[in-house]
Amino acid sequence: MKTHFRIACYNLLAGAVALFLTACAPSATSKPDSGAADGASAARNPGGDQQAGEGQRGGTKESDAAASSLKQLQEGKAPVTPASSPLKDVFFDFDRYDLSGDARTILRANSEWLKSNPSARVEIEGHCDDRGTNEYNLALGAKRAQSAREYLSTLGVAADRLSTISYGQEIPVCKEQTESCWRQNRRARFVVLQGRSAS
Amino acid sequence: MSIKTIIGLGVLLFLQPFNGLAAVTGEIVGQGGQKFPIAVSPLKNQGGNTPEAGRLSTGIADAIVHDLELSGWFKVLDRSAYIENAQNSGITLGTFDFKDWSTIGAEGLVKGGFSVQGDEVTVELRLFDVYQNKERIGKRYTGRVRDFRRIAHKFVDEVINQFTGVPGVFNTRIVYVSNSGGRFKEIFVSHLDGSEKFQVTDNHTINLSPSWSPDGRSVIYSSFKDRNQTLYLFELFSGKELKFTPRGPGRYLSGKLSPDGQSVVATLESAGNSNLYLLDKSGNVIRRLTEDPGIEVSASWSPDGRQIAFVSDRGGSPQIYILDLQSGKTRRLTYSGSYNTSPEWSPKGDRVAYTGRVGNRFAIFSISVDGGEPRKLTSESSDSEDPTWSPDGRFIAFSSNRAGKYHLYVMQASGDNQRRLTGSGGDDTKPSWSPRLD
Repeated sequence: MKTHFRIACYNLLAGAVALFLTACAPSATSKPDSGAADGASAARNPGGDQQAGEGQRGGTKESDAAASSLKQLQEGKAPVTPASSPLKDVFFDFDRYDLSGDARTILRANSEWLKSNPSARVEIEGHCDDRGTNEYNLALGAKRAQSAREYLSTLGVAADRLSTISYGQEIPVCKEQTESCWRQNRRARFVVLQGRSAS
Repeated sequence: MSIKTIIGLGVLLFLQPFNGLAAVTGEIVGQGGQKFPIAVSPLKNQGGNTPEAGRLSTGIADAIVHDLELSGWFKVLDRSAYIENAQNSGITLGTFDFKDWSTIGAEGLVKGGFSVQGDEVTVELRLFDVYQNKERIGKRYTGRVRDFRRIAHKFVDEVINQFTGVPGVFNTRIVYVSNSGGRFKEIFVSHLDGSEKFQVTDNHTINLSPSWSPDGRSVIYSSFKDRNQTLYLFELFSGKELKFTPRGPGRYLSGKLSPDGQSVVATLESAGNSNLYLLDKSGNVIRRLTEDPGIEVSASWSPDGRQIAFVSDRGGSPQIYILDLQSGKTRRLTYSGSYNTSPEWSPKGDRVAYTGRVGNRFAIFSISVDGGEPRKLTSESSDSEDPTWSPDGRFIAFSSNRAGKYHLYVMQASGDNQRRLTGSGGDDTKPSWSPRLD
């Protein structure tokens, strides 16, 4: 089953990530939830036009992936996951690191891409909203990243392709004091690590 | 850094407080407690017609006023009401008229003089009892002109000692995190009044959770400068930096030196689990302190070094727990509220201050180490976080967004007299109060 989908998606992926998403996202047993889609799109920031930073290697979809939040911060860019990224953010409730149904749906789609790109290594970033204590939030972000990592692992993605890092509340994507903004910050984010051939 | 304190003429420490100041003795002035009316005269220029003279005359007086008001125990009378001209009147008993001060309602009076030689200043400061027409403190200090505020802080510490029997805490510093320089979070050290600000880190990443070594000579903090968060110990006097590299995979989220300075309790996060570890001064693991699969962070030593307060979510929500190092036993300290973090053990050992969630806001609380009902010390109309005790345990500094951005504030341990310390233009957070300094 898994192998089948991996091959199918890989072939479809010849060039277009968008095509991949259309083709593969529905392969998950549950339908993509509209709430999840909203959450993902909410993280887009009009001011955060992405260059996806590093190593534009022609034709590979990884160039559309998110760049490290710390690197984004250093470059003065908002740590926004590009809409074109094949790996979508997942969101959490306040002070929680368990995965909602929406989060699992997104992670299943992310896992399909990872299986289609078996040499890609991904760093999962855990983030929090800015309420509460910095150190606790660093630990909470680590839990969120680990929850995502473990779920991807149960979906068949080799754990050694997935590393985690927590930025706690330190690199928010949204800085207003509103629930919708806080929610965008309570996320796990997926950064494809560069420096290794993708195929 | 060398301010020599030369014993002034006739220094006598009267342990009795002035008349009418009995309320200040012992612990804390309660709400509505009487504030002691005091006047702080500009200093008299006693030698050298330097361009610094005007700045020193009022600068030293201003620094003294700032500290006295910060303490919450004094009502400093407005300078515009002063009758005598500081430059024309004396600063010793018999060379000025106490009536000039009693008339305006002063019960205490600070007078002083200074003379500048090169880049060195000699400052003489005295505290008088206006009711009894007596001198209570006379001190002479010598230091670099640019360190004149430190002279003022040292003198106020004496004044506080005179009134309360315990020296003040104004010759201290605060280490904190600020993004004043832009988008990065760097570590800064400054005096309570924001003077002598020193930037410890400048690595253009995120630096967090700073705290002091017990000798006040170093600060320890966690940094993302190597991407993977780890601990650094920075010696303020030498500028040397020591890195604590975790053995194996993992990241150090914070570290605090023990009261004897011989070990560090650190939070190590690995595979999503954060736990407390005891390290030696070189960063080698002595032993692991917590085994829980949940979140264990934010350790704070008891003053005797035998216990550690920390945060754990083992009960389903973040709460404060206390670990006894010898027995290995842990007990839960906080039960009210669903989010209690960042414990700080008081220097007297009797209470723990912490940040608690109230609705959608955060406030500072303190609770007896034996448990019981916590005291809420700040209002939940804004967020207040990250409490840190003064070395005498009579004050708590914290960060709050009550004025928009996060700034540092100080209050009495009762929650009274909350006053802003910093205003960098950015967010100032995570204060840690130094021990008393020389």
